[in-house]
Amino acid sequence: MVVGPSGSGKSTLLRCVAGLEKLDSGRIKVGPKDVTDATPGERDVAMVFQDYALYPHLDVTTNISFPLLARKVDQAEIAEKVARAAQMLDIEDVLGRRPGELSGGERRRVSLARAVVREPAAFLMDEPLSSLDAGLRLRVLEEIRSLQRATGTTTLYVTHDQTEAMMLGTRVAVLRLGRLEQVGHPLDLYDRPVNTFVARFIGRTPMNLLPPKLLGLDRGAQVGVRAEHLRLVPGGGRLEAAVAAVDHLGADVLIESFAGDHQVLVLAPRDVAPSVGESISLDLRDDDLHLFDGEGTALR
Amino acid sequence: MRGSDRLAWPYLLGLAALVALPAVAAFGLAFTEYSGLTSPEFTGLDNFSRMIGESAFWRSLGNSVIYIAISVPLRLLAVVALTLLLHSHFRGSSTGRASAYLPTVIPDVAYSLLWLWLLNPLYGPLAGIFASLGLTSPSWLTEPTSARFAVAIMGVFQIGEGLVIALAARRVLPEHLFEAARVDGAGAWFTFKRITLPLLAPVLLLLTLRDVILALQLNFVPALLMTDGGPRQATTFLPLYVYRQAFRYFRLGYASAVSLTMFVVTGLAIYALYRMSKRWRLA
Repeated sequence: MVVGPSGSGKSTLLRCVAGLEKLDSGRIKVGPKDVTDATPGERDVAMVFQDYALYPHLDVTTNISFPLLARKVDQAEIAEKVARAAQMLDIEDVLGRRPGELSGGERRRVSLARAVVREPAAFLMDEPLSSLDAGLRLRVLEEIRSLQRATGTTTLYVTHDQTEAMMLGTRVAVLRLGRLEQVGHPLDLYDRPVNTFVARFIGRTPMNLLPPKLLGLDRGAQVGVRAEHLRLVPGGGRLEAAVAAVDHLGADVLIESFAGDHQVLVLAPRDVAPSVGESISLDLRDDDLHLFDGEGTALR
Repeated sequence: MRGSDRLAWPYLLGLAALVALPAVAAFGLAFTEYSGLTSPEFTGLDNFSRMIGESAFWRSLGNSVIYIAISVPLRLLAVVALTLLLHSHFRGSSTGRASAYLPTVIPDVAYSLLWLWLLNPLYGPLAGIFASLGLTSPSWLTEPTSARFAVAIMGVFQIGEGLVIALAARRVLPEHLFEAARVDGAGAWFTFKRITLPLLAPVLLLLTLRDVILALQLNFVPALLMTDGGPRQATTFLPLYVYRQAFRYFRLGYASAVSLTMFVVTGLAIYALYRMSKRWRLA
């Protein structure tokens, strides 16, 4: 799982692995095999493109068969593999149609089937959910998850959406401006971000960063605390703030408040939502604090 | 009528006055005997029956068909090859595109005279190249078969407009499709056959239809200036035949009848091609 804001180089990374982009330095290995100088076709990786990249003039069956046709696999084997991939992705009903006649979700499934049918050493997925509407996104995400489990194929998945990364990833790499900031289990990134960038990128809302003094601390240059770790208390909390805005998220509310000049985001249950302009008192546990130095690197 | 439609009026008027009316008048002449000196005399279908009996007409129709059969596929092939070669950006690609277009902007007369020199069996550069390879140069314009080929080959270099259209069509094909094909392990030929060609097919079909129409007229200047319809009538194509009947023998009614026939034959050829290409157009 590769995650990062736009322009961080995650798609470029994926294209390098696919062989569509040349490396300036370094090597790429797929399994035990060094493929740095191999052509895209020789790398035994299948790519799922952000905009599907289905061949518009070919029907779904031919689209899925394409990688096998290109490799001159014999007809009987193609038919069998296509049938299996179509069944796996539940697109047997649309095999005779062309991509233009399919819904977004169906197109995504066809593009996944085209990757699966090759039984490659690795899947490369470039923002596979970004072209889908919100309702479909979760369903296709589940499908990708079960597909990955069923085939057991290593998947390199690029997204700008940290939620997808948290939900799908076994190992998540955070990229910024072409540099790897941190790599680890999703919860590692959430619990122990190595710097303020990762701290603010991973999580439902960006981590609040405050001067230590404000919380009565004397270590570090900045102290971070997540919105969901701040509790509203009737009074006597460690932080006093004024409410500037309250956004309803359904079960809970996102409160934007200010402690002096410093923005403090708070996630709180809906039934305790304060009103705008009110002063609130916030409490937190020491375990939920993250200390960073002047450069933004985490202090342990 | 909306405001923007009013802007079409000057064009439509010009079209009617300069194209439609003369065409109708010419088609009308096809049913008369007319020398240009006396007034036209209605003769019904006489011109057509005379045409059917005249071997020179059949020979020039045959010449035109042969010309189309050589020239249209060659031109299409050249357009496709140059499109594949020149659509991407690389060092010298824009120079390549400009040079591919250049022969098209040379005036027809100058272009014909240039080829007359290129093909000259005594001091032309082509003859020189053949000689330096120890080969005998074809006699080009002095033998019927090679003369037909020579005139057809000249046209293969004048594909600028078709090339521009095909290049534009190739440029708008999404690059992701070709990247997907590369990752799918498709080689250059497989990608061309299964992706590029089918996606370009509608445009290539259009170019082919246009070329058939064009090919009937394209050879007038070279046939007039270079070969004068010869040797042994081998390059007397329909336009030159019509021109001679009208302006050398002053058989204007008969020439109109041949023109009308040419018009109908072109229409039929286009219709036949269009029907044959159903499979293509599905792409």
